[in-house]
Amino acid sequence: MPQFAALIYEAPRPTPDAPDFAAYMQGYMDFGERAGTAVVGGAALLGPETATTLEVRGGADGDLVQTDGPYAETKEFLGGFYLLEAEDLDGAVALARHIPAASDGGRVEVRPLMPM
Amino acid sequence: MHESIERLVQAERGRVVATLRRLTGDLDSAEDAVSDAIVEALEQWPRRGIPERPAAWLTTVARRRALDRVRRESSRGDRERVAQLAATLAEEPDPLPWSTIRDDQLRLVFTCCHPALNPDARVALALRTICGLTTSEIARAFLAPDATVGQRISRAKAKIAATRIPYRVPTDAELPQRLPAVLAVVDVVLTTGHHAPVGDDLVRVDLLATATWLARLLVELLPDEAECAGLLALCLSTAARAPTRIGPDGDPILLAEADRSRWDADATAEAVALLERSLRRGTPGPFQVRAAISCLHSLAPDVESTDWPQVVELYRMLDGMTPTVAVRVNRAVAEAQLHGAPAGLAVLEAISERPEAQSWHLYHAVRAELLRRSGETSGAADALATAHGLATNPSDRRLLDERLRALGTEA
Repeated sequence: MPQFAALIYEAPRPTPDAPDFAAYMQGYMDFGERAGTAVVGGAALLGPETATTLEVRGGADGDLVQTDGPYAETKEFLGGFYLLEAEDLDGAVALARHIPAASDGGRVEVRPLMPM
Repeated sequence: MHESIERLVQAERGRVVATLRRLTGDLDSAEDAVSDAIVEALEQWPRRGIPERPAAWLTTVARRRALDRVRRESSRGDRERVAQLAATLAEEPDPLPWSTIRDDQLRLVFTCCHPALNPDARVALALRTICGLTTSEIARAFLAPDATVGQRISRAKAKIAATRIPYRVPTDAELPQRLPAVLAVVDVVLTTGHHAPVGDDLVRVDLLATATWLARLLVELLPDEAECAGLLALCLSTAARAPTRIGPDGDPILLAEADRSRWDADATAEAVALLERSLRRGTPGPFQVRAAISCLHSLAPDVESTDWPQVVELYRMLDGMTPTVAVRVNRAVAEAQLHGAPAGLAVLEAISERPEAQSWHLYHAVRAELLRRSGETSGAADALATAHGLATNPSDRRLLDERLRALGTEA
Protein backbone atom coordinates (compact mmCIF):
# COMPACT_ATOMS: atom_id res chain seq x y z
CA MET A 1 0.00 0.00 0.00
CA PRO A 2 1.38 3.46 -0.87
CA GLN A 3 2.62 5.62 1.99
CA PHE A 4 2.13 9.32 2.55
CA ALA A 5 3.75 11.67 5.03
CA ALA A 6 1.37 14.10 6.73
CA LEU A 7 3.54 17.01 7.89
CA ILE A 8 1.94 18.83 10.79
CA TYR A 9 2.39 22.60 10.80
CA GLU A 10 1.14 23.87 14.11
CA ALA A 11 0.07 27.31 15.06
CA PRO A 12 1.52 28.07 18.55
CA ARG A 13 1.17 24.89 20.61
CA PRO A 14 -0.05 24.99 24.25
CA THR A 15 2.63 24.37 26.88
CA PRO A 16 2.14 21.34 29.20
CA ASP A 17 0.97 23.58 32.07
CA ALA A 18 -1.60 25.46 29.92
CA PRO A 19 -5.25 24.68 30.67
CA ASP A 20 -5.96 23.60 27.07
CA PHE A 21 -2.99 21.20 26.90
CA ALA A 22 -5.08 18.15 27.85
CA ALA A 23 -7.60 18.89 25.11
CA TYR A 24 -4.73 19.40 22.64
CA MET A 25 -3.22 16.01 23.50
CA GLN A 26 -6.61 14.36 23.41
CA GLY A 27 -7.08 15.59 19.81
CA TYR A 28 -3.99 13.67 18.71
CA MET A 29 -4.97 10.57 20.70
CA ASP A 30 -8.37 10.68 18.99
CA PHE A 31 -6.71 10.94 15.62
CA GLY A 32 -4.50 7.92 16.39
CA GLU A 33 -7.55 5.92 17.35
CA ARG A 34 -9.51 6.98 14.28
CA ALA A 35 -6.66 6.30 11.83
CA GLY A 36 -5.83 2.95 13.51
CA THR A 37 -3.48 0.76 11.48
CA ALA A 38 -3.27 3.35 8.71
CA VAL A 39 -0.66 5.09 10.88
CA VAL A 40 2.58 3.22 10.21
CA GLY A 41 4.99 5.70 11.74
CA GLY A 42 5.64 9.26 12.72
CA ALA A 43 7.06 11.47 15.41
CA ALA A 44 6.28 14.57 17.40
CA LEU A 45 9.03 17.18 17.55
CA LEU A 46 10.00 19.52 20.36
CA GLY A 47 9.19 23.16 19.64
CA PRO A 48 10.90 25.45 17.12
CA GLU A 49 12.76 27.17 19.98
CA THR A 50 14.85 23.97 20.16
CA ALA A 51 15.65 23.99 16.43
CA THR A 52 19.13 24.45 14.98
CA THR A 53 19.46 25.07 11.26
CA LEU A 54 22.76 24.22 9.65
CA GLU A 55 24.41 24.87 6.35
CA VAL A 56 27.80 23.79 5.05
CA ARG A 57 29.26 26.58 2.93
CA GLY A 58 31.77 25.93 0.18
CA GLY A 59 31.10 22.27 -0.64
CA ALA A 60 30.69 19.14 1.48
CA ASP A 61 33.97 19.74 3.33
CA GLY A 62 33.34 23.45 3.75
CA ASP A 63 32.53 25.50 6.80
CA LEU A 64 29.64 24.48 9.00
CA VAL A 65 27.36 27.36 9.88
CA GLN A 66 24.77 26.75 12.58
CA THR A 67 21.88 29.10 13.20
CA ASP A 68 19.50 29.16 16.10
CA GLY A 69 15.90 28.57 15.07
CA PRO A 70 13.93 26.78 12.36
CA TYR A 71 14.74 27.05 8.63
CA ALA A 72 11.62 29.03 7.82
CA GLU A 73 10.61 31.58 10.45
CA THR A 74 6.80 31.56 10.18
CA LYS A 75 3.90 31.56 12.57
CA GLU A 76 3.29 27.87 11.81
CA PHE A 77 6.12 25.45 12.51
CA LEU A 78 6.73 21.81 11.69
CA GLY A 79 5.53 20.10 14.83
CA GLY A 80 5.76 16.50 13.74
CA PHE A 81 4.56 14.08 11.12
CA TYR A 82 2.61 10.91 10.56
CA LEU A 83 3.40 8.19 8.06
CA LEU A 84 0.08 7.07 6.69
CA GLU A 85 -0.89 4.19 4.45
CA ALA A 86 -3.56 4.97 1.89
CA GLU A 87 -4.67 3.74 -1.55
CA ASP A 88 -4.39 7.19 -3.14
CA LEU A 89 -4.30 10.91 -2.42
CA ASP A 90 -8.02 11.07 -1.67
CA GLY A 91 -7.56 8.32 0.93
CA ALA A 92 -4.60 10.10 2.53
CA VAL A 93 -6.48 13.42 2.60
CA ALA A 94 -9.56 11.75 4.08
CA LEU A 95 -7.39 10.62 7.02
CA ALA A 96 -5.21 13.72 7.35
CA ARG A 97 -8.14 16.11 7.54
CA HIS A 98 -8.77 14.75 11.05
CA ILE A 99 -5.30 15.72 12.34
CA PRO A 100 -6.07 18.49 14.87
CA ALA A 101 -3.63 20.97 13.28
CA ALA A 102 -5.76 20.97 10.10
CA SER A 103 -8.71 22.54 11.93
CA ASP A 104 -7.14 24.50 14.83
CA GLY A 105 -5.40 27.23 12.84
CA GLY A 106 -2.42 25.20 11.63
CA ARG A 107 -1.96 23.30 8.37
CA VAL A 108 -1.25 19.75 7.29
CA GLU A 109 0.85 19.05 4.20
CA VAL A 110 0.43 15.65 2.57
CA ARG A 111 3.19 14.19 0.41
CA PRO A 112 3.76 10.79 -1.12
CA LEU A 113 6.90 8.94 0.00
CA MET A 114 9.47 8.42 -2.71
CA PRO A 115 9.12 4.80 -3.79
CA MET A 116 12.34 2.89 -2.92
CA MET B 1 -13.88 16.03 -46.08
CA HIS B 2 -10.52 15.82 -44.38
CA GLU B 3 -11.26 18.84 -42.24
CA SER B 4 -14.60 17.47 -41.08
CA ILE B 5 -12.93 14.18 -40.16
CA GLU B 6 -10.38 16.06 -38.07
CA ARG B 7 -13.16 17.91 -36.27
CA LEU B 8 -15.02 14.67 -35.63
CA VAL B 9 -11.90 13.00 -34.28
CA GLN B 10 -11.15 15.93 -32.00
CA ALA B 11 -14.68 15.83 -30.60
CA GLU B 12 -14.41 12.11 -29.82
CA ARG B 13 -10.86 12.26 -28.53
CA GLY B 14 -11.66 13.04 -24.88
CA ARG B 15 -14.13 10.20 -24.63
CA VAL B 16 -11.62 7.68 -25.97
CA VAL B 17 -8.79 9.01 -23.77
CA ALA B 18 -11.08 8.60 -20.75
CA THR B 19 -11.61 4.91 -21.43
CA LEU B 20 -7.97 4.26 -22.26
CA ARG B 21 -6.85 6.00 -19.06
CA ARG B 22 -8.90 3.55 -17.03
CA LEU B 23 -7.49 0.57 -18.96
CA THR B 24 -3.81 1.58 -19.02
CA GLY B 25 -3.66 3.18 -15.59
CA ASP B 26 -1.95 6.39 -16.67
CA LEU B 27 -2.78 9.42 -18.71
CA ASP B 28 0.34 9.50 -20.88
CA SER B 29 -0.05 5.91 -22.09
CA ALA B 30 -3.72 6.62 -22.77
CA GLU B 31 -2.95 9.71 -24.86
CA ASP B 32 -0.18 7.94 -26.79
CA ALA B 33 -2.50 5.06 -27.69
CA VAL B 34 -5.29 7.43 -28.73
CA SER B 35 -2.86 9.47 -30.84
CA ASP B 36 -1.88 6.25 -32.65
CA ALA B 37 -5.54 5.48 -33.29
CA ILE B 38 -6.18 9.02 -34.58
CA VAL B 39 -3.29 8.73 -37.05
CA GLU B 40 -4.87 5.53 -38.38
CA ALA B 41 -8.30 7.15 -38.57
CA LEU B 42 -6.99 10.14 -40.53
CA GLU B 43 -5.30 7.71 -42.91
CA GLN B 44 -8.16 5.24 -43.37
CA TRP B 45 -11.41 7.19 -43.04
CA PRO B 46 -10.93 9.46 -46.06
CA ARG B 47 -10.48 6.34 -48.24
CA ARG B 48 -12.91 3.87 -46.67
CA GLY B 49 -15.47 6.26 -45.22
CA ILE B 50 -16.26 7.20 -41.64
CA PRO B 51 -17.25 4.16 -39.55
CA GLU B 52 -20.78 4.00 -38.22
CA ARG B 53 -19.58 4.45 -34.64
CA PRO B 54 -16.42 6.55 -34.80
CA ALA B 55 -15.75 6.57 -31.03
CA ALA B 56 -16.09 2.78 -30.78
CA TRP B 57 -13.76 2.38 -33.77
CA LEU B 58 -11.17 4.68 -32.18
CA THR B 59 -11.47 2.90 -28.83
CA THR B 60 -10.96 -0.53 -30.38
CA VAL B 61 -7.89 0.59 -32.31
CA ALA B 62 -6.48 2.53 -29.35
CA ARG B 63 -6.81 -0.56 -27.15
CA ARG B 64 -4.80 -2.61 -29.64
CA ARG B 65 -2.15 0.09 -29.87
CA ALA B 66 -1.96 0.38 -26.08
CA LEU B 67 -1.25 -3.34 -25.85
CA ASP B 68 1.36 -3.09 -28.64
CA ARG B 69 3.09 -0.30 -26.77
CA VAL B 70 3.15 -2.14 -23.45
CA ARG B 71 4.48 -5.23 -25.21
CA ARG B 72 7.25 -3.21 -26.86
CA GLU B 73 8.25 -1.52 -23.63
CA SER B 74 8.12 -4.75 -21.67
CA SER B 75 10.81 -6.47 -23.72
CA ARG B 76 12.87 -5.07 -20.85
CA GLY B 77 11.04 -7.27 -18.39
CA ASP B 78 7.70 -5.94 -17.13
CA ARG B 79 5.72 -9.04 -18.23
CA GLU B 80 3.27 -8.60 -15.41
CA ARG B 81 2.00 -5.35 -16.87
CA VAL B 82 1.50 -6.91 -20.31
CA ALA B 83 -0.40 -9.83 -18.84
CA GLN B 84 -2.51 -7.52 -16.71
CA LEU B 85 -3.46 -5.20 -19.58
CA ALA B 86 -4.13 -8.14 -21.91
CA ALA B 87 -6.41 -9.70 -19.30
CA THR B 88 -8.26 -6.43 -18.69
CA LEU B 89 -8.76 -5.91 -22.42
CA ALA B 90 -10.02 -9.46 -22.89
CA GLU B 91 -12.66 -8.84 -20.20
CA GLU B 92 -13.83 -5.53 -21.68
CA PRO B 93 -16.97 -5.71 -23.79
CA ASP B 94 -16.52 -4.25 -27.28
CA PRO B 95 -18.26 -1.91 -27.94
CA LEU B 96 -18.58 -0.54 -24.42
CA PRO B 97 -22.00 0.07 -22.88
CA TRP B 98 -23.01 3.73 -22.49
CA SER B 99 -22.84 3.55 -18.69
CA THR B 100 -19.14 2.61 -18.83
CA ILE B 101 -18.34 5.35 -21.36
CA ARG B 102 -20.14 7.88 -19.16
CA ASP B 103 -18.31 6.78 -16.00
CA ASP B 104 -14.96 6.86 -17.82
CA GLN B 105 -15.59 10.43 -18.91
CA LEU B 106 -16.70 11.46 -15.45
CA ARG B 107 -13.54 9.94 -13.97
CA LEU B 108 -11.46 11.98 -16.40
CA VAL B 109 -13.36 15.18 -15.59
CA PHE B 110 -12.91 14.76 -11.84
CA THR B 111 -9.23 13.82 -12.19
CA CYS B 112 -8.43 16.86 -14.36
CA CYS B 113 -10.33 19.14 -11.97
CA HIS B 114 -8.97 17.64 -8.74
CA PRO B 115 -8.64 20.26 -5.97
CA ALA B 116 -5.06 19.13 -5.28
CA LEU B 117 -4.02 20.53 -8.70
CA ASN B 118 -3.17 24.17 -9.35
CA PRO B 119 -6.30 25.94 -10.67
CA ASP B 120 -4.59 27.16 -13.88
CA ALA B 121 -3.32 23.65 -14.49
CA ARG B 122 -6.83 22.23 -14.04
CA VAL B 123 -8.14 24.46 -16.82
CA ALA B 124 -5.26 23.61 -19.17
CA LEU B 125 -5.44 19.88 -18.44
CA ALA B 126 -9.22 19.79 -18.91
CA LEU B 127 -9.05 21.64 -22.23
CA ARG B 128 -6.25 19.35 -23.39
CA THR B 129 -7.58 15.95 -22.33
CA ILE B 130 -11.37 16.40 -22.22
CA CYS B 131 -11.88 18.87 -25.07
CA GLY B 132 -8.91 17.70 -27.14
CA LEU B 133 -7.47 21.20 -27.67
CA THR B 134 -3.77 21.28 -28.51
CA THR B 135 -1.27 22.94 -26.18
CA SER B 136 -0.81 25.86 -28.58
CA GLU B 137 -4.58 26.33 -28.93
CA ILE B 138 -4.81 26.62 -25.14
CA ALA B 139 -1.82 28.95 -25.08
CA ARG B 140 -3.49 31.19 -27.66
CA ALA B 141 -6.77 31.16 -25.73
CA PHE B 142 -5.17 32.43 -22.52
CA LEU B 143 -2.35 34.36 -24.20
CA ALA B 144 0.24 32.38 -22.32
CA PRO B 145 3.46 31.12 -23.92
CA ASP B 146 3.21 27.56 -25.33
CA ALA B 147 6.01 26.44 -23.03
CA THR B 148 4.17 27.68 -19.93
CA VAL B 149 1.00 25.81 -20.84
CA GLY B 150 2.96 22.68 -21.75
CA GLN B 151 4.75 22.85 -18.43
CA ARG B 152 1.51 23.33 -16.49
CA ILE B 153 0.02 20.27 -18.15
CA SER B 154 3.06 18.06 -17.66
CA ARG B 155 3.49 19.14 -14.02
CA ALA B 156 -0.16 18.38 -13.33
CA LYS B 157 0.17 14.97 -14.94
CA ALA B 158 3.31 14.27 -12.92
CA LYS B 159 1.51 15.22 -9.71
CA ILE B 160 -1.45 13.01 -10.60
CA ALA B 161 0.91 10.07 -11.06
CA ALA B 162 3.20 10.74 -8.07
CA THR B 163 0.50 11.45 -5.50
CA ARG B 164 -1.90 8.89 -6.94
CA ILE B 165 -4.78 11.21 -7.56
CA PRO B 166 -7.41 8.52 -8.02
CA TYR B 167 -9.22 7.85 -11.30
CA ARG B 168 -12.73 7.51 -10.02
CA VAL B 169 -16.06 9.25 -9.77
CA PRO B 170 -16.58 10.81 -6.31
CA THR B 171 -19.25 9.21 -4.17
CA ASP B 172 -22.57 11.04 -3.73
CA ALA B 173 -21.34 12.16 -0.31
CA GLU B 174 -18.16 13.67 -1.79
CA LEU B 175 -19.82 15.24 -4.82
CA PRO B 176 -20.88 18.53 -3.16
CA GLN B 177 -17.21 19.12 -2.24
CA ARG B 178 -15.80 18.09 -5.58
CA LEU B 179 -18.29 19.51 -8.10
CA PRO B 180 -17.49 23.22 -7.53
CA ALA B 181 -13.91 22.72 -8.80
CA VAL B 182 -15.28 21.16 -12.00
CA LEU B 183 -17.81 23.93 -12.55
CA ALA B 184 -15.11 26.53 -11.82
CA VAL B 185 -12.97 25.22 -14.68
CA VAL B 186 -15.83 25.73 -17.13
CA ASP B 187 -16.51 29.13 -15.57
CA VAL B 188 -12.92 30.26 -16.27
CA VAL B 189 -13.28 29.24 -19.93
CA LEU B 190 -16.66 31.01 -20.14
CA THR B 191 -15.51 34.19 -18.42
CA THR B 192 -12.35 34.41 -20.52
CA GLY B 193 -14.46 33.97 -23.66
CA HIS B 194 -16.98 36.61 -22.57
CA HIS B 195 -14.43 39.25 -21.60
CA ALA B 196 -10.85 38.43 -22.51
CA PRO B 197 -8.52 40.21 -20.07
CA VAL B 198 -5.86 40.77 -22.77
CA GLY B 199 -5.48 40.46 -26.53
CA ASP B 200 -7.07 42.06 -29.56
CA ASP B 201 -10.40 40.25 -29.28
CA LEU B 202 -12.56 41.20 -26.33
CA VAL B 203 -14.97 38.33 -27.01
CA ARG B 204 -13.61 34.87 -27.81
CA VAL B 205 -16.40 32.99 -29.55
CA ASP B 206 -14.29 29.82 -29.68
CA LEU B 207 -13.95 29.80 -25.89
CA LEU B 208 -17.67 30.45 -25.42
CA ALA B 209 -18.33 27.43 -27.64
CA THR B 210 -15.83 25.29 -25.69
CA ALA B 211 -17.39 26.29 -22.36
CA THR B 212 -20.86 25.46 -23.68
CA TRP B 213 -19.60 22.11 -24.98
CA LEU B 214 -18.07 21.25 -21.59
CA ALA B 215 -21.16 22.36 -19.68
CA ARG B 216 -23.34 20.27 -21.99
CA LEU B 217 -21.13 17.27 -21.31
CA LEU B 218 -21.51 17.80 -17.55
CA VAL B 219 -25.31 17.99 -17.85
CA GLU B 220 -25.26 14.77 -19.86
CA LEU B 221 -23.00 13.06 -17.29
CA LEU B 222 -24.65 14.46 -14.14
CA PRO B 223 -28.26 15.03 -15.15
CA ASP B 224 -29.46 15.35 -11.54
CA GLU B 225 -27.15 18.23 -10.58
CA ALA B 226 -29.08 21.50 -10.78
CA GLU B 227 -25.89 23.60 -10.82
CA CYS B 228 -24.64 21.81 -13.95
CA ALA B 229 -27.88 22.78 -15.69
CA GLY B 230 -27.47 26.31 -14.32
CA LEU B 231 -23.97 26.50 -15.74
CA LEU B 232 -25.11 25.32 -19.18
CA ALA B 233 -27.96 27.86 -19.13
CA LEU B 234 -25.43 30.58 -18.26
CA CYS B 235 -23.13 29.52 -21.12
CA LEU B 236 -25.99 29.42 -23.64
CA SER B 237 -27.44 32.74 -22.59
CA THR B 238 -24.03 34.44 -22.56
CA ALA B 239 -23.13 33.06 -25.98
CA ALA B 240 -26.55 34.13 -27.31
CA ARG B 241 -25.61 37.77 -26.78
CA ALA B 242 -22.00 37.44 -27.98
CA PRO B 243 -22.67 38.65 -31.57
CA THR B 244 -23.48 42.15 -30.33
CA ARG B 245 -20.81 42.48 -27.66
CA ILE B 246 -18.35 44.11 -30.03
CA GLY B 247 -18.84 46.55 -32.88
CA PRO B 248 -17.32 46.32 -36.37
CA ASP B 249 -14.36 48.38 -35.12
CA GLY B 250 -13.65 45.80 -32.39
CA ASP B 251 -14.80 48.09 -29.60
CA PRO B 252 -17.22 46.91 -26.93
CA ILE B 253 -20.92 47.73 -27.28
CA LEU B 254 -22.82 48.33 -24.05
CA LEU B 255 -25.82 46.18 -23.24
CA ALA B 256 -28.02 49.28 -23.54
CA GLU B 257 -26.89 49.94 -27.11
CA ALA B 258 -26.89 46.36 -28.44
CA ASP B 259 -29.04 45.42 -31.45
CA ARG B 260 -31.12 42.83 -29.64
CA SER B 261 -32.60 41.43 -32.86
CA ARG B 262 -29.21 39.82 -33.46
CA TRP B 263 -29.29 37.80 -30.26
CA ASP B 264 -29.68 34.05 -30.65
CA ALA B 265 -33.29 33.50 -29.53
CA ASP B 266 -33.05 29.69 -29.81
CA ALA B 267 -30.07 29.55 -27.44
CA THR B 268 -31.89 31.85 -25.00
CA ALA B 269 -35.00 29.65 -25.18
CA GLU B 270 -32.93 26.55 -24.41
CA ALA B 271 -31.29 28.36 -21.47
CA VAL B 272 -34.67 29.41 -20.06
CA ALA B 273 -36.08 25.88 -20.39
CA LEU B 274 -33.03 24.38 -18.67
CA LEU B 275 -33.24 26.91 -15.89
CA GLU B 276 -36.96 26.39 -15.29
CA ARG B 277 -36.35 22.65 -14.93
CA SER B 278 -33.35 23.05 -12.62
CA LEU B 279 -35.05 25.64 -10.38
CA ARG B 280 -37.89 23.18 -9.78
CA ARG B 281 -35.40 20.93 -7.96
CA GLY B 282 -35.26 23.53 -5.20
CA THR B 283 -31.46 23.47 -4.87
CA PRO B 284 -30.48 26.98 -5.95
CA GLY B 285 -26.81 27.83 -6.39
CA PRO B 286 -24.68 30.63 -7.81
CA PHE B 287 -24.71 29.32 -11.39
CA GLN B 288 -28.49 29.07 -11.48
CA VAL B 289 -28.77 32.61 -10.11
CA ARG B 290 -26.24 33.98 -12.60
CA ALA B 291 -28.05 32.19 -15.41
CA ALA B 292 -31.36 33.65 -14.26
CA ILE B 293 -29.92 37.18 -14.33
CA SER B 294 -28.40 36.56 -17.75
CA CYS B 295 -31.70 35.19 -19.10
CA LEU B 296 -33.64 38.20 -17.78
CA HIS B 297 -31.33 40.43 -19.85
CA SER B 298 -31.60 38.20 -22.91
CA LEU B 299 -35.40 38.12 -22.74
CA ALA B 300 -35.94 41.89 -22.36
CA PRO B 301 -36.70 43.79 -25.57
CA ASP B 302 -34.69 46.78 -24.29
CA VAL B 303 -32.92 48.07 -21.16
CA GLU B 304 -35.94 50.00 -19.84
CA SER B 305 -38.28 47.02 -19.92
CA THR B 306 -35.76 44.70 -18.23
CA ASP B 307 -37.21 43.25 -15.03
CA TRP B 308 -34.86 45.30 -12.81
CA PRO B 309 -36.58 44.54 -9.48
CA GLN B 310 -36.04 40.84 -10.21
CA VAL B 311 -32.44 41.42 -11.37
CA VAL B 312 -31.64 43.33 -8.15
CA GLU B 313 -33.27 40.62 -6.05
CA LEU B 314 -31.16 37.95 -7.79
CA TYR B 315 -27.94 39.96 -7.35
CA ARG B 316 -28.66 40.31 -3.63
CA MET B 317 -29.16 36.55 -3.46
CA LEU B 318 -25.90 35.97 -5.37
CA ASP B 319 -24.08 38.40 -3.11
CA GLY B 320 -25.19 36.29 -0.15
CA MET B 321 -23.88 33.10 -1.80
CA THR B 322 -20.61 34.41 -3.29
CA PRO B 323 -19.74 37.86 -1.93
CA THR B 324 -17.01 38.59 -4.50
CA VAL B 325 -16.02 42.02 -5.75
CA ALA B 326 -17.28 41.15 -9.25
CA VAL B 327 -20.75 40.31 -7.91
CA ARG B 328 -20.78 43.52 -5.86
CA VAL B 329 -19.88 45.69 -8.85
CA ASN B 330 -22.60 44.10 -11.00
CA ARG B 331 -25.07 44.45 -8.17
CA ALA B 332 -24.19 48.15 -7.89
CA VAL B 333 -25.07 48.65 -11.57
CA ALA B 334 -28.42 46.94 -11.11
CA GLU B 335 -29.25 48.82 -7.89
CA ALA B 336 -28.41 52.10 -9.62
CA GLN B 337 -30.71 51.22 -12.49
CA LEU B 338 -33.59 50.55 -10.09
CA HIS B 339 -33.01 53.00 -7.23
CA GLY B 340 -30.72 55.63 -8.79
CA ALA B 341 -26.96 56.22 -8.89
CA PRO B 342 -26.51 57.00 -5.14
CA ALA B 343 -27.87 53.54 -4.26
CA GLY B 344 -25.31 51.98 -6.57
CA LEU B 345 -22.50 54.08 -5.10
CA ALA B 346 -23.46 52.94 -1.62
CA VAL B 347 -23.03 49.32 -2.69
CA LEU B 348 -19.56 50.12 -4.08
CA GLU B 349 -18.61 52.07 -0.96
CA ALA B 350 -18.94 48.89 1.10
CA ILE B 351 -16.13 47.21 -0.87
CA SER B 352 -13.92 50.26 -1.46
CA GLU B 353 -11.28 48.95 0.96
CA ARG B 354 -10.89 45.57 -0.73
CA PRO B 355 -7.64 45.32 -2.74
CA GLU B 356 -9.39 43.22 -5.48
CA ALA B 357 -11.72 46.19 -6.00
CA GLN B 358 -8.96 48.81 -5.98
CA SER B 359 -6.93 46.90 -8.59
CA TRP B 360 -9.87 46.13 -10.93
CA HIS B 361 -10.51 48.58 -13.77
CA LEU B 362 -14.23 47.76 -13.91
CA TYR B 363 -14.75 48.75 -10.27
CA HIS B 364 -13.38 52.22 -11.05
CA ALA B 365 -15.16 52.43 -14.42
CA VAL B 366 -18.54 51.66 -12.86
CA ARG B 367 -17.86 54.03 -9.99
CA ALA B 368 -16.97 56.76 -12.51
CA GLU B 369 -20.24 56.25 -14.38
CA LEU B 370 -22.31 56.39 -11.18
CA LEU B 371 -20.45 59.52 -9.98
CA ARG B 372 -21.09 61.13 -13.37
CA ARG B 373 -24.80 60.37 -13.10
CA SER B 374 -24.79 61.89 -9.61
CA GLY B 375 -23.26 65.07 -11.05
CA GLU B 376 -19.85 64.59 -9.41
CA THR B 377 -17.85 65.26 -12.56
CA SER B 378 -14.38 65.69 -11.08
CA GLY B 379 -14.68 62.53 -8.97
CA ALA B 380 -15.85 60.73 -12.10
CA ALA B 381 -12.83 61.95 -14.07
CA ASP B 382 -10.43 60.74 -11.36
CA ALA B 383 -12.08 57.32 -11.25
CA LEU B 384 -12.00 57.05 -15.06
CA ALA B 385 -8.30 57.87 -15.12
CA THR B 386 -7.64 55.18 -12.51
CA ALA B 387 -9.70 52.68 -14.53
CA HIS B 388 -7.76 53.56 -17.67
CA GLY B 389 -4.46 52.93 -15.92
CA LEU B 390 -5.59 49.49 -14.78
CA ALA B 391 -7.32 48.19 -17.95
CA THR B 392 -5.23 45.65 -19.86
CA ASN B 393 -7.44 45.03 -22.89
CA PRO B 394 -6.95 47.62 -25.67
CA SER B 395 -10.71 47.72 -26.44
CA ASP B 396 -11.45 48.49 -22.80
CA ARG B 397 -8.90 51.29 -22.87
CA ARG B 398 -10.41 52.80 -26.03
CA LEU B 399 -13.86 52.78 -24.45
CA LEU B 400 -12.52 54.48 -21.32
CA ASP B 401 -10.71 57.07 -23.46
CA GLU B 402 -13.98 57.92 -25.15
CA ARG B 403 -15.76 58.32 -21.84
CA LEU B 404 -13.01 60.58 -20.54
CA ARG B 405 -13.40 62.78 -23.63
CA ALA B 406 -17.20 62.83 -23.27
CA LEU B 407 -16.83 63.80 -19.62
CA GLY B 408 -14.53 66.66 -20.65
CA THR B 409 -17.16 68.15 -22.93
CA GLU B 410 -19.81 67.73 -20.25
CA ALA B 411 -17.80 69.62 -17.63
